[in-house]
Amino acid sequence: MKFWRLGRKREQALEKEIQHHLRMAAMEREERGATPRDAESGARREFGNVGLVKEVTRDVWGWRWLEDLFEDARYGLRVLSKNPAFTVAAVLAIALGVGLNVGIFSVLNGIALRPLPVPRAQQILSVNQVFHHTVSRNVHNGLSMFSYAEYLDYRDHNHVFGGLVAYEPFVEATLGGGHMQPLLGTLTSCNYFEVLNEHPVQGRGFVDTDCAAPGQNAVVVISDELWRGTFAGDASLVGKQIILNRTPCTVIGIAAPGFTGTEPAASAFWAPVTMQKELDAGMDRLGDSNMSWLALLGRVAPGVTIQQVHADLSVIAGRIDQSHPGRLTTLAISRATLFGRPDEREFLVPVASVVLAAFGLVLLIACANVSNLLLARASVRHKEIALRLSMGASRWRLVRQLLTESLLLSAAGGALGSLLALWSFAGVAHFMIAHLPASVPTPALNLAPDFTVLAYALALTLLTGVAFGLLPGLQSSRLDLNTALKGDGALSSGTSRKSGRVLRDAFVGAQIAVCMILLLAAGLLLRGLYHAQTIDPGFDVKNVASTFLNLQTLGFDENRATAFVESLRKRVADLPGVLELAQAETAPLSDNHSGDHFLIPGRAEKVAMEYNYVSPEFFSTVGIPIVRGRGFGVNDWRDGTPTIVTESTARRLWPGEDPLGKTFHDRLTGGVAGPERVVVGVTKDARVSKLGELDTMYVYFPAAPTRNLRSYLLIRFEGNVRDLNNSVREVARSIDADVPVQVATLEDGMEVWRAPARIVTGLSGALGGLALLLALIGVYGMVSYSVSRSVREIGIRMALGADGSQVMSHVLRQAMRPVMIGCAIGVAGCAGVSSVLSSLLFGLDAHDPIAFVSVPVFLLIVALVASYIPARRAMRVDPVVALRYE
Amino acid sequence: MGERYRNRIELLQGTLDLLILQTLLWGPQHGFGISRSIRANSGELLQVDAGSLYPALHRLEKQKWIEADWKISENKQEVKVYRLTAAGRKRLTEERSRWEQISEAIGGVLNPAKKEGAS
Repeated sequence: MKFWRLGRKREQALEKEIQHHLRMAAMEREERGATPRDAESGARREFGNVGLVKEVTRDVWGWRWLEDLFEDARYGLRVLSKNPAFTVAAVLAIALGVGLNVGIFSVLNGIALRPLPVPRAQQILSVNQVFHHTVSRNVHNGLSMFSYAEYLDYRDHNHVFGGLVAYEPFVEATLGGGHMQPLLGTLTSCNYFEVLNEHPVQGRGFVDTDCAAPGQNAVVVISDELWRGTFAGDASLVGKQIILNRTPCTVIGIAAPGFTGTEPAASAFWAPVTMQKELDAGMDRLGDSNMSWLALLGRVAPGVTIQQVHADLSVIAGRIDQSHPGRLTTLAISRATLFGRPDEREFLVPVASVVLAAFGLVLLIACANVSNLLLARASVRHKEIALRLSMGASRWRLVRQLLTESLLLSAAGGALGSLLALWSFAGVAHFMIAHLPASVPTPALNLAPDFTVLAYALALTLLTGVAFGLLPGLQSSRLDLNTALKGDGALSSGTSRKSGRVLRDAFVGAQIAVCMILLLAAGLLLRGLYHAQTIDPGFDVKNVASTFLNLQTLGFDENRATAFVESLRKRVADLPGVLELAQAETAPLSDNHSGDHFLIPGRAEKVAMEYNYVSPEFFSTVGIPIVRGRGFGVNDWRDGTPTIVTESTARRLWPGEDPLGKTFHDRLTGGVAGPERVVVGVTKDARVSKLGELDTMYVYFPAAPTRNLRSYLLIRFEGNVRDLNNSVREVARSIDADVPVQVATLEDGMEVWRAPARIVTGLSGALGGLALLLALIGVYGMVSYSVSRSVREIGIRMALGADGSQVMSHVLRQAMRPVMIGCAIGVAGCAGVSSVLSSLLFGLDAHDPIAFVSVPVFLLIVALVASYIPARRAMRVDPVVALRYE
Repeated sequence: MGERYRNRIELLQGTLDLLILQTLLWGPQHGFGISRSIRANSGELLQVDAGSLYPALHRLEKQKWIEADWKISENKQEVKVYRLTAAGRKRLTEERSRWEQISEAIGGVLNPAKKEGAS
């Protein structure tokens, strides 16, 4: 390398120049009569510290830092290779810390940071709207989405996009005709494949005429996976018809392998947005200009910036606002990613922050660990450092040398950890995805490392090197030269040794504190999980099964639906093992509960309550007792007024009063009071809506027998649920072959609530375990180091009459002091964090006493054992040998 | 230890540059020679220590105010000899006038009465 040779030449020149100076000065002295020896030493004395003069002169050159870096790196490598045990320990600790963090970041990157999986994805922008005043708006997917009319306005009047796409994600459809299975698909504008540049590999994508008129073109593009799986790669499928929600659709194309749409949940088919009414009968979203249901993606024209896009589209937004009095809309425009919409980010950001923080804590422990190793080693290197200082190296120069060593360590650890992480985390993530409850759609994630992940790994590695290297570097370069050079370090108990000890204790304390936070969090989560597994929901979950009958999307009208349900109920009731049948708009613990605002006489503000329409047999079938008043009778639906509330709802709405006979009203648009509801009964509290809490603000209304378009059939049964499922499916098929039926116990519904808790608990348990391991190695290392450094002190104590157990208790006391302080800080810290955790996960008691007592006790015991093992060596010290030791 | 040297360099920087440039005005000179000239011309009052001199020489060289050549001395040694460049000459006049202004100004501060009397 050129600068390297240049540097060496210049180095030699400087040496020559200085030697010449010294010789001239000596000659001058000789001329004045000094002996050659005196002349030479006099010249040197006058010149001063040659090393330092060289150093300050070299500073002027400017190449300096690069040469120094190389020199430091070479020297560092030599030092590190001479201490393989230390180097391996440090590299492994860093690899663990950095690896975990890079791994979790690569998952987050795959979930929400990398561009969409389409060609030239960096050109694709996601457009969302934010409403500033409370507006009355119909929402189907997310509030930030658009209506079809709004989409057309933006599509036709913008000047910034090469193309603007609208699509409705998560369209549920049942594939009929011999392949009956539920599918998740997408309704798209007809420029979808064109703009995304994802042309189907067989057949064609949509063209404008496919979207020309509502309901005209029943065409569909299906995913490669569906084609290969369900249709067994049928080469003649294009051009044939498949049945989606009882609507025959012609397959016109098969998407490229691996293309699963632009949402985290994989899409199995794409149909023109104009087919909305046909595919989701009974709903007219297309014609509702005030309905949020379409996500917008635009491919920006070349050379146009996000700011220009924003300015251009805002004009259109302002014009739309003018035709909706009182509405104020702004646009949020960003590079399109998965989980990029405001409502999704709102959920994802706090979760991701907590996860990243937890993983960051493990890295912090690893850093403290390596810092301590460095500090311990620095006291062995006292002499070397003192020598370099006395030869004229400046302190900054030494710190830089030590930091370079740290960076070499962190680079090695970071590289190793990142490689392992990128290789293993994809596996872990897929394992976790595979163990999600069946009702959660399989996410399509790409976890392959990209530039963002590599940049993160590099930045984290550098930061880590500075983090664990800086303090020990500063500490060990602060030396008292005289004592350091004379003594062998062990006895040079000057201020630097004492402050070294304080620093080491602080690092141990910090490790324990951080470890405590992670373990306590894991403990709290574990308690939460236990709570979730053992909680009594307040109704029978084992002997009640349910099936969702979504007849509306299948194209049934009310009469046909009622006919179907009546005949199904009649025949299911006759099945062996079926004890009782009921119907409800929503099954307990299913994820689609309805809620609205109601007006309570005597209260100014509206009250938000969840509600359920149920048949009279509901309470006895599910096993929720009526504690006051009565249940529903068969005719209660006719006037619609009788209502049943839960105990805690009654307490909240009418504290200290008899709830029976109390009334409230539905709220109609414009704040007008709707029909009156009269409380006729009170149920025992249960957890129907959320497993995490008792149902407060929950009411039941009587369902009309004709309310069958969307309902759950609830079956109290005895025997095996699999047999029940088979026989009910058989019955349903004999009535109507195109209605999918899936019977599962209510307990299966609880899995949706338990699975996240299980995943988070497993994850935090693993993290806590790794943190514990690192912290224990830290404690063990610190105690064994301090025992080996104080052999002489122990020898003196024993020579003065202390016995082994006294020495032992002294060593343990010293070791446990930072541990205790760390524990206390950790507990206090976790008390602050746990309220955040409990807000994210249900069933978590932020101050669970069992976790808060058992975890610290556990950690203290383990730390005691970790100190006891090396401390035993102190007991075996022979005073005679120890005093001769130095 | 290091701090001591550095402080002195900073204190002397402007002045030392001036002295070096002025010394080289009389002809090319090596480092030791420059330090001895300054000492002799100041009546043995100004001692330039090596820790200030060499960084200053290398800095002036980098700024292209002086240039260096390697020559062989009488006793067959390689010697680094510095000489003034055209830019260095210009710099010297600037530095000189600046120095004169400063010394005049300081003189005025130290002897206010004299100045008033003169005007």
